[in-house]
Amino acid sequence: MKDPLLNISKIDMVFPTPKGDFTALKEVDLKINKGEFISLIGHSGCGKSTVLNVVAGLYQATKGGVLLNGREVNQPGPERAVVFQNHSLLPWLTAYENVELAVKQVFAKSKSAAEMKEWIEYNLKLVHMDHAMHKRPDEISGGMKQRVGIARALAMQPEVLLMDEPFGALDALTRAHMQDSLMEIQDELNNTVIMITHDVDEAVLLSDRIVMMTNGPAATIGEILDVKLERPRDRLALAEDPLYNQYRSAVLTFLYEKQRKVEEIGSAAKADVKSSEKKQAESA
Amino acid sequence: MSSLIAQLITRKNAPVVKAQLPTFLVNFLHAVLLPTIGILVFLLFWSVAANNIDTSLGKFPDPAAVAAQVGNLYDEHMESRAKEQAFYERQEKRNAARMAKDPNYVAKIRAYTGKETFVDQIFTSLITVMSGFLLAAVIAIPLGIAIGLSKALNTACNPIIQIFKPVSPLAWLPLVTMVVSALYVSDEPMFAKSFVVSMITVTLCCLWPMVINTSVGVASLNSDWVNVSRVLRLPALKHVQKIVLPASVPAIFTGMRLSLGIAWMVLIAAEMLAQNPGLGKFVWDEFQNGSSQSLSRIMTAVIVIGLIGFALDRTMLQLQRVLSWDKTTQVR
Amino acid sequence: MIKTTIKKAMKSICATAVVFSSTITFTASAELGYPEKEELKFGFIKLTDMAPIAVAYENGYFEDEGLYVTIEAQANWKVLLDGVIDGRLDGAHMLAGQPIAATIGYGTKAEIITPFSMDLNGNAITVSNDVWQQMKPNIPKMSDGRPVHPIKADALKPVVDKYINEGKPFNMGMVFPVSTHNYELRYWLAAGGIHPGYYAPHKGDTSGKIDAQALLSVTPPPQMPATLEAGTIYGYCVGEPWNQQAVFKGIGVPVVTDYEIWKDNPEKVFGITKEFSEKYPNTTIRLTRALIRAAIWLDENNNENRKEAVKILSQSNYVGADYDVIANSMTGTFEYEKGDKRSVPDFNVFFRYNATYPYYSDAIWYLTQMRRWGQIAEPKSDTWYHDVAKKVYRPDIYMKAVESLIEEKIVPASEFSSLTGVDGYRAPQTHFIDNIVYDGKKPNDYINKFSIGLKADEKI
Repeated sequence: MKDPLLNISKIDMVFPTPKGDFTALKEVDLKINKGEFISLIGHSGCGKSTVLNVVAGLYQATKGGVLLNGREVNQPGPERAVVFQNHSLLPWLTAYENVELAVKQVFAKSKSAAEMKEWIEYNLKLVHMDHAMHKRPDEISGGMKQRVGIARALAMQPEVLLMDEPFGALDALTRAHMQDSLMEIQDELNNTVIMITHDVDEAVLLSDRIVMMTNGPAATIGEILDVKLERPRDRLALAEDPLYNQYRSAVLTFLYEKQRKVEEIGSAAKADVKSSEKKQAESA
Repeated sequence: MSSLIAQLITRKNAPVVKAQLPTFLVNFLHAVLLPTIGILVFLLFWSVAANNIDTSLGKFPDPAAVAAQVGNLYDEHMESRAKEQAFYERQEKRNAARMAKDPNYVAKIRAYTGKETFVDQIFTSLITVMSGFLLAAVIAIPLGIAIGLSKALNTACNPIIQIFKPVSPLAWLPLVTMVVSALYVSDEPMFAKSFVVSMITVTLCCLWPMVINTSVGVASLNSDWVNVSRVLRLPALKHVQKIVLPASVPAIFTGMRLSLGIAWMVLIAAEMLAQNPGLGKFVWDEFQNGSSQSLSRIMTAVIVIGLIGFALDRTMLQLQRVLSWDKTTQVR
Repeated sequence: MIKTTIKKAMKSICATAVVFSSTITFTASAELGYPEKEELKFGFIKLTDMAPIAVAYENGYFEDEGLYVTIEAQANWKVLLDGVIDGRLDGAHMLAGQPIAATIGYGTKAEIITPFSMDLNGNAITVSNDVWQQMKPNIPKMSDGRPVHPIKADALKPVVDKYINEGKPFNMGMVFPVSTHNYELRYWLAAGGIHPGYYAPHKGDTSGKIDAQALLSVTPPPQMPATLEAGTIYGYCVGEPWNQQAVFKGIGVPVVTDYEIWKDNPEKVFGITKEFSEKYPNTTIRLTRALIRAAIWLDENNNENRKEAVKILSQSNYVGADYDVIANSMTGTFEYEKGDKRSVPDFNVFFRYNATYPYYSDAIWYLTQMRRWGQIAEPKSDTWYHDVAKKVYRPDIYMKAVESLIEEKIVPASEFSSLTGVDGYRAPQTHFIDNIVYDGKKPNDYINKFSIGLKADEKI
């Protein structure tokens, strides 16, 4: 078997706190092949983001390590571009300039000014933002901001694209649009992606594999679900697809039966989660 | 009309009136009429109070006396300009006469030596406050960024900043005066010593709010932006230039606005104390003169100082709005 | 040409021609050169006796000398002196005691000289209305019911005693520790049997309140009326217009002028550093010339120009007080109690009686008073007094200015006829309120004549 592109090798993550050490992750082990789309799903506080941050190099694992193409990751870099939950565009720069900042940094030596311009515009076009590329973040909607954030990450031509709940803050409709866009882009570029999500439908729709995490502390990978749905996927068609629903209920079963949150009491738990899911969608 | 105004003023009835009046009219009333009423009430109160306060220099100046002084001060200014003209003409003649006698003489035009008028003093104060302010910005912003970026530097500098921050720059004034006298020695000084002293005093008082605000702004940098910078592996200098500096602009401006306000107040006091040219000296001189005009001239200066302070603040606010990405800054 | 000038001058002099030629020698000097330094800044305190500087500027006398002068009011005498010492100011209207004190190192030590004495008289002592009411019963009245002048401090003595008995300090204001006002106030008080207190600088006591019955403290001249009004002091000695201001404001009553304490006493001088005079000799002579011309103008034709002078002084950049207030004293009258306006033609003298000539004997009088009140802690020889006076007072520069003014026919020699025979010392002076005679040639003798005050060989 060929070597995986990304090898997350038995990482532990321990945070020192005033009350003593807190073990967030315990022996998280995952191998990801080139072109794979992986979702990380789990209850909030389970350490999904910590895994992502370790891969991004923003955190340093306490034990174990991350290998990208066989080389150890020990600092952040553009080959592991991150799409942050809150778009994190620089508000004083236009959409174009936000992408430009990344492009200039990554391709300073390999692209001419004209090529860079073309590349920036190409990426903005990819996310359907070419019409508003000279607008500032405060002049565009939340979904548009997230598109620009994705364009910025894609423009770095990363080996792995890391997405931290990229659509978590968007309303349901926008989110669906964004998911479709992301699938389109993925068809074209075939990137390697790790995406964190709360949303079971999103995970099933987008992923090749769904990595389900146990609750913290000392969270680790509980189950991995291979999603063998044909691509391109169509959300309307899939709604009726028994396989799709099977995957969906598998994830739900993991989340709400095997890894039920301790605070949630009795039968109210399911309704609670559902309503909070709904609330999140509405509030975004 | 008056009942209408009364209705406008009382919040309870406002919605009713709004329903009856077109929006632009309501806006107009709010933007123009209410402040006008406020000013009129103040003027009335002032007139009444002024006529009931007797000082050893006569009655306290009322608005009419101040208005008259504005005219007087302007006339004095124009008179002085005419004198200045004559001064230069005389000087040219004198220089010509001397050159006729002594061909080697290189004539030099000397600046007018007459008194500084009220208008001159306004400009002197403005130039002083702006120079001191800019000097402070040049020092404080890099320092604030450094302190904001480095926890160690912050911990090291914090006690010093906290100790010097509450010190009135006026307490520094004697020290500044002596140090400037000792160190700023030159036969043909570019700036007058008094200007340097006032300017440094202004700088000292602008420094701390700017350092503190800048460092707080930098320290509370959105962690996502820092992560963006880390993912892009921006070099330190570029990180400061592209991320830290623009991100801190709102905080820096808040500090600048705050310090300019303080600086203006302090400068006037410093000018009074050190007899350095400017509006403060004008006020002090008039107080010393103790003439029957003095109080109204001082009152005029007080109002002008207030107007200028207000204008400075608004200018900073406009500047902030244009230059800062954070458009949510409140008008206060 | 010079000889004819001398002849002209000699014609106007009768008996003392021999002395004249030995003291005032119009040597055939080279023509006075252009000033080395043309842009000058002079400081002053808001008092009417700064008039020569204002007039020299307004009448263009400075410009005639090729000097471009900026005139700047100073906050107080200390700031003014420091300004001259550190070079912020090129010269200033000074208290006569300031160059002397600076030279002997009382206060800031610096070599300050004076080539020009600015005026005679011009001060008065004012007391608050309340004190005046208490003094009044002790003063003899004239037939019209007005008090007989001069009023002596004898009338104040019972009031001061009453305050002391009640345990209240009797505070009075003067403008500076080495000011004329301090010495005049002390002279007047002491002549009336009130002890104004000793200084003991060698013991670190520069408050001047040792053994004092009346406690004297420093207040800048323009703030005197306000301080009196606030009740911080019960009286003060200051120059004009600050006594007349008290009358106008109705907050106090001037009781005695310094003219009555010591007729034609020297008052302000124009002070520059010795370094300045050496570095810029032509500038020094030229500024002296301009000031002499201003002084002449101020006294010309029986004070004819005084009204115009008052107009200049009432400008806000000079003294700035109301015209009427300044005019009161400058035009030859002085208002005591409200309505009691008396003629004092010599209240302000700028040129008459050789007012502008820097007499050694004037300097020595200040030194004797510094010794009398302990500011000079150690006994000094007569020679020491003469040496200090000659260091500070520079009639040589003054005479050079006079000579060149005559030579260039700017001022006729007749204006200076009274300088004939002047050797730097005034003849023994008699017009003191206590009738003690002052002979500048014998300072130690003079010091010993006072009943209140340190004797020549006494130490605290």
